[in-house]
Amino acid sequence: MNREDWHVPGDLMDRYLTGRLEPAVVMSVEAHLTRCARCRAAVPYEEGWLVAGWERLAEEVDRPRPGPVERLLGRAGVPGHLARLLVATPTLSRAWVVAVVVVLACAVAVGQAVREVGASYLLAFLVAAPVLPLAGIALAYGRHVDPVHETQAATPMAGPRLLLLRAGAVLATAVVLTAAASPWLPGPPGLSAGWLLPSLALSVGTLALAVRMPVAVAAGLLGAAWLGVVGTVAAVHADDPFLFFAPAAQLMYAVAAGVFIPFVYARRSRLDPGESRWSQRSAYER
Amino acid sequence: MEPTISVRALSKQYGRATVLDRVDTEIGPGVTGLLGPNGAGKTTLLRCLATTLAPDSGRIRVLGLDPATAAQRTEIRRRLGYLPQDPGHYPHFTAFELVDYVAILKEHTDRRARHREVRRVLAEVDLADRSRTKVRKLSGGMRQRLALAQALLGEPELLILDEPTVGLDPEQRMRFRALVSRLGESRTVLLSTHQTEDVAALCERVVVVNRGRVVFEGTPRQIAEQAAGQVWLSEEAPGAAARMFWRTADGRYRTLGDPPRHAVPADPTVEDGYLLLLGEPSEVAA
Repeated sequence: MNREDWHVPGDLMDRYLTGRLEPAVVMSVEAHLTRCARCRAAVPYEEGWLVAGWERLAEEVDRPRPGPVERLLGRAGVPGHLARLLVATPTLSRAWVVAVVVVLACAVAVGQAVREVGASYLLAFLVAAPVLPLAGIALAYGRHVDPVHETQAATPMAGPRLLLLRAGAVLATAVVLTAAASPWLPGPPGLSAGWLLPSLALSVGTLALAVRMPVAVAAGLLGAAWLGVVGTVAAVHADDPFLFFAPAAQLMYAVAAGVFIPFVYARRSRLDPGESRWSQRSAYER
Repeated sequence: MEPTISVRALSKQYGRATVLDRVDTEIGPGVTGLLGPNGAGKTTLLRCLATTLAPDSGRIRVLGLDPATAAQRTEIRRRLGYLPQDPGHYPHFTAFELVDYVAILKEHTDRRARHREVRRVLAEVDLADRSRTKVRKLSGGMRQRLALAQALLGEPELLILDEPTVGLDPEQRMRFRALVSRLGESRTVLLSTHQTEDVAALCERVVVVNRGRVVFEGTPRQIAEQAAGQVWLSEEAPGAAARMFWRTADGRYRTLGDPPRHAVPADPTVEDGYLLLLGEPSEVAA
């Protein structure tokens, strides 16, 4: 009798199904079952249980493994799908994060090494730091920064929702990284954190401007205006170079951010991520 | 019954170049092919319909909704599957991760249900066994199938596929045709191509676009009939007066237009009708 003619006898099958066989015999029976459809058909099973089992197995094998950042976001209460969306950011945004880390590391290293030029160095940092999130926001969304842009532009998350989500992530990342660097900068702790409110005001201001123009253009305009005005005033008023970071100025930034945030929220559907814009009424209907 | 897509007087310009010139058409359920040469305006038309590009003027209705309104545009995107001409990819993602990412953008928030859906669409395009392969390691044809998989997420009512058969080998193309035919039984599929074989094999209806205008709408049989009485086979090469001719695999010459000497009439194909519609005098292959 060759292998193909042999099938699991009834009593052996009963003992297999009721778990009364030695392990070696079980392995032998299962080896036969893998190649014999007739004997497999004699093994009763629950369809639902089997499907669910395969699904659990497939889920375990296929599901993306969350990295450390994604796990951290999860622990911070960010919903799983949003955490996944945020860590899967475009390459340029990742490059931006690396750039921010490098800039901050250099700032800290130079600030620690050259104590005698601490004040002017701190000023340069305070002027430059609020612009970092603007670059990130400009790089957060768009055809030129995201290789999958055309695909995602046709999804319901596209446009203002994704732009705001990524802009928020950029701002939070910049704040966390820069705040972490602040204690190592020269100058009093309160002053070295003086860039936080201007940064918030500029970032939200960029989004407020983005209801009228592409976000990259808005970020460029505001960034240039900030560097021009604050840099010039700091150079001219050599007696008080920190004028733009004094408490009165900080209050102004807080008020500006307080005004811009509800404005952006109310006009969020009109945010221009830099794609061609749909008019509310087409020329045909006018 | 309202058509799935309705377009009236749609125009789009890039600088001084008119890409779409007052296009009118209606697309209903089933598979419709958008046929035209390179630069005819196919991709621009599909991008307008997929809501990723705003037209300059004209009216569009997709699934009875107006994409010029933000809320309705989002609703269209919820019910749309779109394969762009250049879908792009994140090379460091696995196939599963890329489709999972798009699924999140399509508001599939429940992780288990989303992963089940990702597995389903990967199986549809025969990539289930490649789910853990990095996208950069997939061949061009596999990437094209992966892009198709994301378009199938959520069983959309409308599928817009821009050059879906590019990069597919003959066997994959045959499987793709079977898949699209099946999908077209229960929804609207609009696909662009310049492959007349795809149209003849797949489409119930054809829209031919040339130089930004719709030059033909009808069935594949009707487009072939455009060439009735104008297709000839001859042993000798036609004279200089022939508008369009090429040498076939059996060594004979196929001529469109006036009959050359000693020619016999041939049955017209979709390709013959299409070439005559475009009206470009050319020797297709010598």
